[in-house]
Amino acid sequence: MNAQLLQPAFVDPVLDAQRGFRAALKALAEPGLIQHLACAPQLDGLAPATYALCLALLDVDTPLWLAPSFDTPLIRANLAFHCGCPFTANREDAVFALLGEHDLLDLGGFDHGNDRYPDQSCTVLVQLTDLESGRGLLWRGPGIKAQRQVHLPVPQAFWLERQRREAFPRGLDVLFAAGHHLIGLPRSSRVAEERT
Amino acid sequence: MSLSPRQHWIGVLARARLSELQPHEAALKDVEYHLIRAPEVGMTLVRGRMGGDGAPFNVGEMSVTRCVVRLADGRTGYSYLAGRDKVHAELAALADAHLQGSQPSIWLSDLITALANAQASRRAQKEADTAATKVEFFTLVRGEN
Repeated sequence: MNAQLLQPAFVDPVLDAQRGFRAALKALAEPGLIQHLACAPQLDGLAPATYALCLALLDVDTPLWLAPSFDTPLIRANLAFHCGCPFTANREDAVFALLGEHDLLDLGGFDHGNDRYPDQSCTVLVQLTDLESGRGLLWRGPGIKAQRQVHLPVPQAFWLERQRREAFPRGLDVLFAAGHHLIGLPRSSRVAEERT
Repeated sequence: MSLSPRQHWIGVLARARLSELQPHEAALKDVEYHLIRAPEVGMTLVRGRMGGDGAPFNVGEMSVTRCVVRLADGRTGYSYLAGRDKVHAELAALADAHLQGSQPSIWLSDLITALANAQASRRAQKEADTAATKVEFFTLVRGEN
């Protein structure tokens, strides 16, 4: 490992990691609601929220799959140092996956869990440029009282891909991050076109 | 198995006493540096083997303090030591970074040799104290015959 690439991470490792974990929990408990992560460190190529999620969620027991756009020596060195997580080139082995906007069209290969242990599925972290500039879609499901309008700037094909792989209780939970913000999309959320 | 020089000095720094490092604190901190990993206390599992070569078993957990610093010129110093002394961990990491410079000889002669000598004499003293209490057991007659 190249020690020259290492950078400081959380200022207060214990409390900041707990804040990151809390934000991830809230994001998945209230799908579509934007969560704010104030105390997040900076790393080239990773948004503060993405990096904070990685630091809070990853450890030795969670193999990480990196999309090619994130597979830089800097990101590898810092995640290996601060999280201690192993990296995997096989999507099947990944417990977490880090994707960019352009990797959303193919979600094949990731572990969807099984009927007895659906919780063992892969959790997908997606970094976007922002969370509010997309077409408005209506989200329904657990954690949403009636419906919620969410403007995620993701390609239409992603929703088709997600629907195609749906096999509840198996499925993928997704956390979208941009800047200091994140939005959760658990497998239980149903997403539909907005009626005009 | 022989130790590399760096393994040697990292071990010496970890076994040193804080009171022995503190006289060097001003010299160690006389550079621009920042903390890559601020000193933090954690637990580690110690494993052992009965008699040194039996099946491994878990002895127990011990507290460990670790720290990583980077000097302004890019040298990165690491420390891992037993106990919960964060000041010691930072000084040991700084010393490791200084020792990786182009001229480690000054630090080696000033710091590491002195610390290693002190540790060797402490160890010899303790071994001598322990040897004085050694008892030899031997059996004259066994009970059953």
